[in-house]
Amino acid sequence: MMVRMRFFLILFTISSALAQDAGATRADWPHYGGTQFSWRYSSLDQINTTNVKALTPAWMFQTGDYAENLQATPIVVDGVMYVITARARVFALDAATGRVIWHYEYPEPPRSVPGFVGNRGVAVGDGKVFFGTKDDYMVALDQKNGRLLWRVNIDDARQCGCNITAAPLVVKDKVLVGGTGGDGAHRGYITAFNTRNGRLAWRWYVIPGPGEKGNETWKGDSWKFGGGAPWLTGSFDPALNLVYWGTGNAASDFYDAERVVAGADKSKDINLYTASVVALDADTGKLRWHYQEVPDDLWDYDSAYEVLLIDRPIRGRMRQTLIHMNKSGLTSVLDRVTGEFLGTFSVPEVRTWISGVTEDGKLVGRNEPQLGKTITICPSAAGAKSWNSMAYSPRTGFLYVPVNEICNDITPNDRAPEEGRGYMNGEFPMKLAPGRTTYSHVDAWDPVTGKRAWSVPYKYLLLASMLATAGDLAFTGNPEGDFFALDAKSGDKLWSYQTGAGNRGSAVSYSVNGRQYIATPTGWHVSVVGALAQSLFPDQEWRLGSMLVVFALPESSR
Amino acid sequence: MKKLAVTAFMLAVSCAAQNLADVLVQGEQVFAKSCATGYCHGMKGGSGGAPRLVGRHFDQAYINNVVARGVPDTGMPSFATRLSRADLVAVVAYVATLNGIANPNVGPGGTAPLTVSRPALTGEAVRGARLFTEAVRGFGRCSTCHEVGDIGTSVTAPIAKVPASTAELKALATPDVKTGTMDVESMPVLVLSQGKQSTVFYDLTSAPPVQRNTEPGLVRFTDGSNWRHSSVIKSYDDSELAAILAYLRAVIKP
Repeated sequence: MMVRMRFFLILFTISSALAQDAGATRADWPHYGGTQFSWRYSSLDQINTTNVKALTPAWMFQTGDYAENLQATPIVVDGVMYVITARARVFALDAATGRVIWHYEYPEPPRSVPGFVGNRGVAVGDGKVFFGTKDDYMVALDQKNGRLLWRVNIDDARQCGCNITAAPLVVKDKVLVGGTGGDGAHRGYITAFNTRNGRLAWRWYVIPGPGEKGNETWKGDSWKFGGGAPWLTGSFDPALNLVYWGTGNAASDFYDAERVVAGADKSKDINLYTASVVALDADTGKLRWHYQEVPDDLWDYDSAYEVLLIDRPIRGRMRQTLIHMNKSGLTSVLDRVTGEFLGTFSVPEVRTWISGVTEDGKLVGRNEPQLGKTITICPSAAGAKSWNSMAYSPRTGFLYVPVNEICNDITPNDRAPEEGRGYMNGEFPMKLAPGRTTYSHVDAWDPVTGKRAWSVPYKYLLLASMLATAGDLAFTGNPEGDFFALDAKSGDKLWSYQTGAGNRGSAVSYSVNGRQYIATPTGWHVSVVGALAQSLFPDQEWRLGSMLVVFALPESSR
Repeated sequence: MKKLAVTAFMLAVSCAAQNLADVLVQGEQVFAKSCATGYCHGMKGGSGGAPRLVGRHFDQAYINNVVARGVPDTGMPSFATRLSRADLVAVVAYVATLNGIANPNVGPGGTAPLTVSRPALTGEAVRGARLFTEAVRGFGRCSTCHEVGDIGTSVTAPIAKVPASTAELKALATPDVKTGTMDVESMPVLVLSQGKQSTVFYDLTSAPPVQRNTEPGLVRFTDGSNWRHSSVIKSYDDSELAAILAYLRAVIKP
């Protein structure tokens, strides 16, 4: 009996260790979210709570592209770092020194192409470097020399009002990418191409067409312009062969009378599959299951954010979970095999859009914008968290989340849609949440208990991603240019470095020849939420720029 | 006589004022629809995600220029081809009033923005224009390979000659489509360039076409192909193809 018990114990320990290994990066930082499980967690622990004070710049790299901020997540494979700038200039750098190995400049799209200048990263796989563009191309470069291999057009930005700002995700022999445009009259989709030759593998439309299940949740032709754009990067579980992705808000954003059926059956008024997390078959793009976080979204609460795949025991049973936050800060814990709801928690301190959530995840007391009225809604459409990712450490079991406490005064309108043009149908000026003096905080949350372990306030907004490491450190940066390390267990600030420009990127960790590095993009700019932050603090002049700052321990102290 | 002249003058002034008031109302509407939207300039230019436009001391020529040409490397597009001339004049005038210019110039002698004139479409051509780019057809729409009226991807050379009938469209000869062979794989291709550094071609195996760049000599081209234009326009029925031809006839002059 004792022997058998021990056997089970060992088995349990091994299986949980394996599950944890799958989400952690090692020497490389191969994917946007670290691994395809999107933890943004490095298993490297050379830099830790005891020596982080000695962390110092090892090299810096000025990209020379100062048109917008540097938001990309650098990818590191075999000692080479691949980074893309706002205007799609791609660099391969020696990750130990910053020396340029090759450089590719994507031709600037004509000025008639509308949309955002910005790029959140490349993907690397199959000997190629992939990225999306403002004019909606997927581009593949030769990983060795930066030579253009193929490019394929996904849509016409002038018609759809959509661009690609997200990093693609390489899944086996395919490269997947979503697009923006869901605040306009547009129908979002995820497209997969064969990495070898760029040929279309599959496309999944967020909004089902006529005859497809879910189309009955849309009034008339509203499905054609119903938004849902999946504008960030998903995750992949190879064992289940499932791709997980978050979808955007329904359009028009703040006014639903033209998109909900409004018949006797209220359960139809949900606008599938917007504001949801979806599981797609990696080979075919077929929908396997969905979980809608904001049925009939009326607050621009995109669910487009990152999807963390974490194995944890819940109520005594090991579960393959999926953790997913939308802009409202409501965070779902699901079984990633079946989509079964396991729990939820809400991160902002001020919340007025709902009064609560039932045990089985149903929203209660929806505070909906109404035509002819202005109502204050917290959190704002900019999100309790913006697009910048959270991180997860299996050592502490905590999620590290940058949370913003902003509300907006929503005044909806009923304008008709025009393809590819703005279709938010509302004004939503923003302000500090009532009763607060600080605008943001970095939190540690236990996703199983839904409890906050610690919280560190910050006076302005936090718009850079988190990085967690096995050295029990949590890193992020702020608009003032401070890049800092917190103790992952307590939240104590252990180290900070003034990088010279505001931080809005995503830091990574990797090692070359046994030396651990922490790399962070820097450079403030005004795109979208950056401009919002600027409008909230007109007296602040956060510095622009576009530079990588890469830290390590001094050679002598290792 | 003098009284008459004064009356005429007052009439002219009030007509101009009326005209300006109308233009500004129009400008405010255009602004609400095209500029205040999304995370852009906000209601009445009070700032959203993009810069505030109220009280910035912009002069009208500057506003004109920015609206018409856009601002490079930002989210501000050129509106020269996105708005009609009347809407452009109106929105420029409206933004001018946000900057303390009480009487912006909206007359024909004013600083009218650069616009691209488009032929007015009627009937079938309007339907054809919609069908040509229709998003619900995915990659099965004409604009996947043809750019017409600033929409679409110019995989092919600009359409110069419009087929006379749907039958002619379906039977369209495509002598430029060749067969490319790489290793043991053959594919229908459109060759773009064959230089010393690289060979550039479109792989037409499936839609959307993929632009491929290879080292010279890696791909061999031979005339002829089993690719047919009729097989890529299958998402349209005959009536729809007829409407598309009507559209092309309206906008493409031989």
